[in-house]
Amino acid sequence: MLLTANTGSYPRIGDKPEQQKHRQAYARWEKGEISDEEFMRVQDEVTKEVIHEQVRAGLDLVTDGQVRWYDPISHIARGLRGFEINGLLRFFDTNFYFRQPVVEGEVRWVKPILVWEFSFAKEISAVPVKPVLTGPYTIARSSINRYYPSLEELVLDLASALGREIGELEKAGADVIQVDEPAILKNPDDFELFRDAIEEICKNVENARLALYTYFGDAAKLYEKFQELPVDIIGLDFTYSERLVDVVVAQGSSKGLGLGLIDGRNTRMEKETEILPILERIVPQVEGGPVYLNPSCGLEYLPRETAFAKLQNLVMIAKRAREVMG
Amino acid sequence: MRRLGLDLPLLPTTAVGSYPKPEQLVEARRMLLAGRLKPKDLREMEERATKEWIALQEEIGLDVLVDGEMYRGDMATYFAENLDGFRISGLVRSYGNRYYRKPIIVGEVRWRGPITVDWWRFAQALTKKPVKGMITGPYTMMDWSFNEYYSSRRDACLDLARALHQEVKALAEAGAKIIQIDEPALSTRPEELEEFVVDALEIVTKGVDAYFIAHVCYGAFEFIYPEMLELPVDNFDLEMSNSELDLVELFKKHPFTKDISFGVIDVHSHVVESVDLVKRRIERALEVLSPEQLWIDPDCGLKTRTREEAIGKLQAMVKAVREVRTGLCRGNA
Repeated sequence: MLLTANTGSYPRIGDKPEQQKHRQAYARWEKGEISDEEFMRVQDEVTKEVIHEQVRAGLDLVTDGQVRWYDPISHIARGLRGFEINGLLRFFDTNFYFRQPVVEGEVRWVKPILVWEFSFAKEISAVPVKPVLTGPYTIARSSINRYYPSLEELVLDLASALGREIGELEKAGADVIQVDEPAILKNPDDFELFRDAIEEICKNVENARLALYTYFGDAAKLYEKFQELPVDIIGLDFTYSERLVDVVVAQGSSKGLGLGLIDGRNTRMEKETEILPILERIVPQVEGGPVYLNPSCGLEYLPRETAFAKLQNLVMIAKRAREVMG
Repeated sequence: MRRLGLDLPLLPTTAVGSYPKPEQLVEARRMLLAGRLKPKDLREMEERATKEWIALQEEIGLDVLVDGEMYRGDMATYFAENLDGFRISGLVRSYGNRYYRKPIIVGEVRWRGPITVDWWRFAQALTKKPVKGMITGPYTMMDWSFNEYYSSRRDACLDLARALHQEVKALAEAGAKIIQIDEPALSTRPEELEEFVVDALEIVTKGVDAYFIAHVCYGAFEFIYPEMLELPVDNFDLEMSNSELDLVELFKKHPFTKDISFGVIDVHSHVVESVDLVKRRIERALEVLSPEQLWIDPDCGLKTRTREEAIGKLQAMVKAVREVRTGLCRGNA
């Protein structure tokens, strides 16, 4: 009934000396002191570490922490034909920056982007892994469009390309596949186009469960419309909205939910007394399943120690909730 | 301006805040952190570097100077370390392989005593040109910090404003006539501008007799325009060198009613602009603003450029402004 999951990224370094591996290797690789392969091996090691940390925290569903990603936008875009990668831009309202893609030609899927990352993680994880990718609407909105005459055409070609990637991820054994679409919260008027894109993506999924996650904005207004999309799970960020809990309780859910009640952007540890009452109100209203308690967004906005503590805290709260709800 | 005793030419030239630190100073800061250098020895090097940059700015011919921030690292952590109520976090990634530490608000934020006044006095004593006082604004301090104490962003921002008001008062009492409030986070959540940012800046500036500048590291300010004009400052410092914003359109509907420090130098590019390019950028500003409203400066701090690039860029800027001034005066004759 109530499970726990990570939402996306995980800090790739920490403050302890033994946690500096990635930073040191990256610096050496930039200077040409180590090869691409050697850097890749360090990324493999760090990926293993972050997966093991998530497992140690007690999560039911983990991610690979996106340790290999420069950022959630360019990592996907550079794997597709049609994109050049440009300079840095602020990522939503965070203090994180992404490299902005520029659409110079027709967007096409040419080869798997995340499949080998996912397979690597699946191989070494004791617990199921979900691949996470940034969705077509958000990538389109984050890009400079120098090719398509309209946003619509760009979004739909991206949906087709990423739909193909998702099909490949399912073939590689993914049971839950997460698509991140934070940008729709900032542009609710584009919902018709957004729906078309999600429908296009879902055509590529047979048995795997598609999870649509949004964050960095208030989902209350779009919640009802999200329920009409052909996805299996809806991930919500509760840290931007006063009324989202009430909206979800009032409308219930015919789909599984990802409850982003644990703030991935702030170091303050949530209290059981704050979260339990919300879970007790929401969980009984969910008809579809499952319900995941997860961070509101990726955890790379926090120091490593705090990210781990957040996951431990989350697992503890979920355990207590299960006891209380019977 | 005259009431404050400031006698500035048309199109005053200035800088935004930071200059590149000399290599020995960068090394010295590392050594201090490693416990291998005494604070007073670091201070000597910081003073020497500040003297150098004040002299360079005078040589280049800037009208309003900055102290160059030889003593500062991150603009938020610097203030957090000097206010009550803060701790500093572990490492967080900014982009690529760059990591930084964030302030964490763990208790009530309070002003402990003057933070920047000493350095302002030191810099001002070296020159007859006005030196800007400079603080990181309450909204940016709040937005860039973790918050484990206040129950809302608004409450954190307003308490920060009260603390920073003390600093601004102290700067003015020491003699600072131009005070810059750095608010690079201003455009992050535009709805909050009218919700509490205006109130916060009113708290910061209330009763202080100075010319206030709000530095907003953001060229595409249309999301907070014209609401941003409600902020109780005299001048907005904007990053305009690469902006594709149609100012004619924007200001047609809502004229820009305050002064503007128009950024005409790209601080993210190592290319030193030609005088002609800078002139064109200034002329773009003059299409929509009256000369009396206009200050000219680089887009942002120059600490990411080399010493030579920074000097070259400022020289091009000053030369361009002088040529434009001549043209304006001829035009008015």
